[in-house]
Amino acid sequence: MFYRLSGVHHNSYVSESRLYRIPADRNLALFFLALGLVAPLLVGSLYLNSYLLPWLVWTAAALGLNLVTGWAGQLHLGYAAVMAVGAYSAVHAAKFGIPWEFALLIGGISASVVGSLFAFAALRVKGLYLALTTLAMQFVMDWVLTHSPAISGGSHASLQAPTFALLGQPITSDIGLYYIAFSWCLLVTVFMLNLRRTGLGRALVAVREKDYAAAILGVNSFYYKIVAFATSSFIGGVSGAVLVATFFFLAAPEQFSVTVSIQVLAMVIVGGLGSTIGTFFGVALILLAPGVVNGIVAKGAIALGLQLNVETLAHIPTATYGALIIIILMVEPLGLGKLYGNIRDYLMVWPFDQLKR
Amino acid sequence: MTPALEKEAASILSMNSIEVLYDNVMLAIKGVSIQVPRGGMVALLGSNGAGKSTTLKAISGLLKVERGRISRGEISFDGSVITGLPAQQRVEMGICHVIEGRRVFEHLTPDENLEAAAPVSMNRATLKAEKQRIYEYFPRLAERKNSQAGYLSGGEQQMLAIGRALMTQPRLLMLDEPSLGLAPFLVTEIFGIIRRINKEQGLSVLLVEQNALAALEIVSDGYLIENGRVVMHDTAQALKSNSDIQEFYLGGGSATNFHEIKHYSRRKRWLS
Amino acid sequence: MDLILLAELAVNGVLTGLLYSLFAIGLVLIYKASSVPNLSQGGLTMAGAYVVLALAHDMGLPLWVAIPLAAVVMFVFGMGIERVALRRLAGRPVVMILMMTLGIDIFLRGTTLAIWGGTSRSVDLGVSYEPLFVGDILVSRIHLLGAAVAILLFVVFVLFFRTRLGIRLRAIADDYMASWSVGISVERGVGLSWGLASIVAVSAGIIWGEIQGVDQSLSLLLLKGLTVAVLGGLDSIFGAVLAGIILGIIENVGSAYLDPFVGGGSRDLIMAAVLILTVMLRPHGLFGRTDIERV
Repeated sequence: MFYRLSGVHHNSYVSESRLYRIPADRNLALFFLALGLVAPLLVGSLYLNSYLLPWLVWTAAALGLNLVTGWAGQLHLGYAAVMAVGAYSAVHAAKFGIPWEFALLIGGISASVVGSLFAFAALRVKGLYLALTTLAMQFVMDWVLTHSPAISGGSHASLQAPTFALLGQPITSDIGLYYIAFSWCLLVTVFMLNLRRTGLGRALVAVREKDYAAAILGVNSFYYKIVAFATSSFIGGVSGAVLVATFFFLAAPEQFSVTVSIQVLAMVIVGGLGSTIGTFFGVALILLAPGVVNGIVAKGAIALGLQLNVETLAHIPTATYGALIIIILMVEPLGLGKLYGNIRDYLMVWPFDQLKR
Repeated sequence: MTPALEKEAASILSMNSIEVLYDNVMLAIKGVSIQVPRGGMVALLGSNGAGKSTTLKAISGLLKVERGRISRGEISFDGSVITGLPAQQRVEMGICHVIEGRRVFEHLTPDENLEAAAPVSMNRATLKAEKQRIYEYFPRLAERKNSQAGYLSGGEQQMLAIGRALMTQPRLLMLDEPSLGLAPFLVTEIFGIIRRINKEQGLSVLLVEQNALAALEIVSDGYLIENGRVVMHDTAQALKSNSDIQEFYLGGGSATNFHEIKHYSRRKRWLS
Repeated sequence: MDLILLAELAVNGVLTGLLYSLFAIGLVLIYKASSVPNLSQGGLTMAGAYVVLALAHDMGLPLWVAIPLAAVVMFVFGMGIERVALRRLAGRPVVMILMMTLGIDIFLRGTTLAIWGGTSRSVDLGVSYEPLFVGDILVSRIHLLGAAVAILLFVVFVLFFRTRLGIRLRAIADDYMASWSVGISVERGVGLSWGLASIVAVSAGIIWGEIQGVDQSLSLLLLKGLTVAVLGGLDSIFGAVLAGIILGIIENVGSAYLDPFVGGGSRDLIMAAVLILTVMLRPHGLFGRTDIERV
């Protein structure tokens, strides 16, 4: 429904269920994989760590939300809370002396447990009402975080993360941290790409399209809703932990507030529900475009000799961010993934006809 | 005047080789031409997915809502071309479409359902008189006019949907499967009322039905649509006695099992 | 706690609750007329307050001119939102419509602050801050005024939805397709509801702006407004008023008892808890329409 294929035809189920339905896709994926691997050589550490790294980690997080919202069709406005659970439990575990590998796992599992609580809401209601419940749960989590010093780390409500380490080796260099983020994003991406080929993925789509019809077909929609929430929360929890460990270096409640929940949902929807490549685009747009626009406006104002208010400059990113959501939804409600698909399908008919084979 | 033009002048609706595209890719009907005589009753018959509902939506302008459009052909109503007009304007001109599935306004009462459909310009006195007229046709509705429409029975909802359409003061009423899921005696009752309105008020009716037997009882003309094309057009009498129609739509033909019917149907299509 | 303090908490709870209702009526209006959940009411309220400020303070118009003028401006603006953003999404899944209204909210917040700056400003309605004594109970004048406005709007809109135009709007919320089929202009109806909700936003913006200053915090009313609207039933104006009163009391009395134990800030928690409980136990609220499913 969300990713209509046109111009590609299959003669067998095997060809249809291939990871890359056309060779061009595979080549493109390999190209980006290589690009990601050599990125530290291509860009300076400033760009690497303030743009590429957060982009990759947020993409992993957004892919997790896409699993539950795009694939299983369950609205989730409390995803940041789940990420917070993962981040805080991982940091606390690491502070306790547990190695980071296990700390990340603990973060993922505890997020998974809390995330499944959201699933119980999804068992009772759906659509708008589910969105409102998860939103309220996010507020409850926010409150718990800010009001329990034991979790949030004392009066300043900020929790220093211990130095990230793998196999006992502390990783502090920019490049090392980048590769951590890169591998996590790669892992989630491969999982999401393969989801379509698994029974789980098909069951989730069936639940999305009509849960009671899926139930009639023998898909246990309760079970799959819980699985969807648990899996997505695991991804979200680990992403939250990775984000704190490699980017923020300290955990604070504002990093996982309701606005962040909305932001991740915006990334997913702007990227395209159920689209993996779209999520990459969506995160890039929502995360980076407001800053870029702000820079352009600031430079433009100087070039034109205009005196722009500091307040104005401070709020242009927010306005841009809102405008982006509105514009993308107006142009293509199915998001950037669908736009990409349309362009690709068009190019495949002409002039790259031969790439289909 | 040539006979063809004369026929067009006598008809309130004429549709000339209409093609409808959904989403710019799917061709739903291909060159359908239909005439509805002034004050006449015409039936559109055919199986599921043949293009009957699409034809009605093309006439009422509801195609746009489903991302469909008329890509070729012309529809004229009462002498003026309406092909590109918005749905609302067509209702004002006197075309009303009772859509499939008795979609009454569930949370409104029958009384409010009727008021919602009345033209904005109608004054209070006329509105009251019009509602009274509808309740006379459908006395069952009058009994339940203040209960919630969603809780009416299927038959009552269909009556309400038709009554609501009559509130728009149509000159052409299009009904999409009014018999769907209703008990046979209710179908007879509703068709009887439609026939009565047609006789008393000279309302032209275009009826889409799968229940061909019931439909052919009340109409004068019938069109048969298959795969988005009109494959047959004749008087109701002639259609009823046609052997193919009997075979496929009325039942009681010579074929005894499904396989035979399918085979026969395929051969027929090849030959036509 | 003594009885007078409890009574004071309750009375002020009722008044504050009615102010929440004032905000929630905007949400309910749009839902009642188009089944669209409007998460941008917070942004609209902010925009409404800033437009009043711009007309009254920056352009120097007297308030009795500025307020109606702002209502007209915002009405047109609300219609514009429907025309530009929402019309294309009719019939799309609710997740996209939700996101669209969230996007509008974010956009409005960003633009109002970019134009007028983030420092908190005051409306200066000219209502005295001197509290009013009703018996032994302290009551704030501006809260009284706001409650009166809420009740006035409630009466106006209840009557409005009984008129033929109002019936037509309710018909649109029930079934877009059926509305089109009988010649109701769905687009104009939905646009009208956005226009009216924007007028409600102006009134809520003025009252709340007078109480807590015109700044970004106005958009945070959304959680409370949503809770009120959901508890009352998303499409019931009477429900919104009653739920506002109930929630106001629960919140005021509850937080007075709870705050000493949890160290403040329990108001949001109470709101969120009520929202979760309502959706779990009675999704259609106190007076909302239930979806009729017939097989």
